[in-house]
Amino acid sequence: MHEVTHETRNNLPPTLVAEFTELCTHYPERRAALIPALHRCQEELGGWLSPETLEAVAGFFELEPVEVFGVASFYPMFHLRPRGKHLVSVCHNISCDLRGAQDILDEACKASGCTPGGTSDDGRFTLVRVECQGACTSAPMLALDGVYHEGITPEDVHRILGGVQ
Amino acid sequence: MPSLTIDGREVSVPKGTTVIQAAEKMGVFIPRYCYHPGLSVAGNCRICLVEVENLPKLQVACNLPVTEGMVVHTGSEQAEDGRRAVLEFLLANHPLDCPVCDQSGECDLQNFYMNFGLYDPRFREQKVKKQKAVQLGPHVMLDQERCILCSRCVRFTDEITKTGEIGIFQRGDRAKIGVYPGTELENPYSANVVDICPVGALTERAFRFKARVWYLSSAQTVCNGCSQGCNMDMHYVLDRPHLNEGARVVRVKPRYNPDVNQWWLCDEGRYGLEWIDKARLQEVRGPGDTANADTNSGKATWEQALGAISKSLAEWKAEDVGARIGVIASAKLTNEELFLIREIFRDALGAQVSAWVPEDPGTCDEFLVKADKNPNTRGATLLNLTSPDAPEAERIVDEALAGNIDLLWVFGYDLVEGFGEQKVRELGEKLKLFVYSGTNENPTQALAHWGLPSAAYVEKDGTFVNHHGRVQRIGRVFSPLGDSREDWRILLELGGLLGLQLDWRDPQEIFLGLADAETAFAGMSYGTIGDQGVEVACTKPTEGVTAPW
Ligand code: SF4
Ligand code: SF4
Ligand code: FES
Ligand code: FES
Repeated sequence: MHEVTHETRNNLPPTLVAEFTELCTHYPERRAALIPALHRCQEELGGWLSPETLEAVAGFFELEPVEVFGVASFYPMFHLRPRGKHLVSVCHNISCDLRGAQDILDEACKASGCTPGGTSDDGRFTLVRVECQGACTSAPMLALDGVYHEGITPEDVHRILGGVQ
Repeated sequence: MPSLTIDGREVSVPKGTTVIQAAEKMGVFIPRYCYHPGLSVAGNCRICLVEVENLPKLQVACNLPVTEGMVVHTGSEQAEDGRRAVLEFLLANHPLDCPVCDQSGECDLQNFYMNFGLYDPRFREQKVKKQKAVQLGPHVMLDQERCILCSRCVRFTDEITKTGEIGIFQRGDRAKIGVYPGTELENPYSANVVDICPVGALTERAFRFKARVWYLSSAQTVCNGCSQGCNMDMHYVLDRPHLNEGARVVRVKPRYNPDVNQWWLCDEGRYGLEWIDKARLQEVRGPGDTANADTNSGKATWEQALGAISKSLAEWKAEDVGARIGVIASAKLTNEELFLIREIFRDALGAQVSAWVPEDPGTCDEFLVKADKNPNTRGATLLNLTSPDAPEAERIVDEALAGNIDLLWVFGYDLVEGFGEQKVRELGEKLKLFVYSGTNENPTQALAHWGLPSAAYVEKDGTFVNHHGRVQRIGRVFSPLGDSREDWRILLELGGLLGLQLDWRDPQEIFLGLADAETAFAGMSYGTIGDQGVEVACTKPTEGVTAPW
């Protein structure tokens, strides 16, 4: 069983502490900076929010870990489990669906070696189905590490994913 | 003071009052799930919808401050339609497992559905599945499917205990409450979340599947777990022994008292009541046939016991050596009983009487729980039976061991725990008469010459004074177990046998006598005490006493 201790609550890297301290000054309430802070943690600390990270953030914002966990679990952009080196987000909202998102997804699964929501055995990819990414005009689409690939075909998927290490 | 009209009646309320509060003041009940008077307003459940004239849409009464001239309809067709729609949403993913739900019978989903239900549901989709038996902590079980996400429990741990164990995770129809992974809902007040959960999502592990609530009877009483004296309702069964392994007390629920415990109880008090039904002293035990027996091996009747005891007492009295009688009373007795002990033993017989016993202080906090685990120390003090007006119990014991006391009566206090078995054994040998009266089996009882079974506090009427000086009635819940008798009854009978003029027949009358004799209680009666209690007139300061709020 994981135990929340004083130590886990206070071990945010000093650079992030400095960054968040400044970040808080932009908001009337300190805790309002929680979401941007979680994003930064995810970027800096291994691509996901580990229990240790959640507790450290809670410590910084003087919140209960349960509250930070509540926020982090609310948004799909936050990953609460370790994820692969590269994040593949396949849109399956209406425009993309109408234009063959299911085929894109199937191909992406094959090419990455993941099931939707899962991570490949070699740790290279994590694949997620996401809602509309705002690229409906050139549906279907997928995003690889935040870079959009629009108007793609299943063949393109292999090319896109095959090129990354 | 804005005035507004609710359901055709006008009312003036202080500025800042919400419509739900104003309605409540007039005796108009507006349904609610998330609103709780002891917590901040969340306004998330929408069941409290009311129609307000000149406002285009229905409003949530719990989060709508009144304004001058506002006209509110709580029961209009539009309002009821709104609630019906809200209920339809709340029940869309609800498992409807009332037949196996402990809350059934006291559930606000059931209650409000009776009034505003659709009765012909339109939801044909698959319901979302969630976890059904999540153990949140030592006392509380969670069923995530039954939860309507009102957030009362979350606000309780945020605002009342400030321990923040509970949170809401995920979103939409997958949202669920829970504790942070690897932690527990474990604080001294944890079970209160069960009381405030309006549905069957949070249930008491101790009550789980024990009884349908409609088989329970309820009576008002107070907790005797510490000197706070929290008000509570005791739920019990007498006619269905199979439900609770024969125990009468099934559970307790806090009873609102703004001056004592508001809406809450501590877990220690809530779950510290087993002794009422377990290991009780149920028969009179006496020396039996052996004339010189030191312990109470034989079964006896009340007549034999009180006859023998009063005869001995009368002899000592005749010899006018009352100081050779010692009485160790207890701050767990009622004021009425302590008063009788004082009248009979101290005043009529001249005995040394004390309710000042050694005790290690227990746990306490700044909320309800007090270190003094006796419910009536303040009463005993007002009756001059503790420090500094009475001798310490230890002195009485020492004098008895030194041979200066021949007769000792101990009310409820476990001498063995306080002074060790060796000393009590010696007392049994030295004393001419050694009487123990109490509710439960204990080592002292076994070493006394007479063991008299007393009624538990919920088996008798009477009053306690809490640490803050509030006189509160216990209220008799059910009758004494087995052969046990109320201490006041034992004392009255003894007084009669001693030929004393005590013309009271019951606790109510004894209390009037007490109110006459003690200025602190002047003018009080069971009527004026009512079900919320009253403060004693002169608050004789007791060290360390602070106002609870
Ligand atoms: S468990 Fe009960 S009190 Fe807590 S949010 Fe759910 S319904 Fe409300
Ligand atoms: S605080 Fe004291 S009186 Fe109140 S419930 Fe707990 S033990 Fe009983
Ligand atoms: S539906 Fe796929 S980007 Fe909008
Ligand atoms: S009681 Fe008003 S919104 Fe819940």
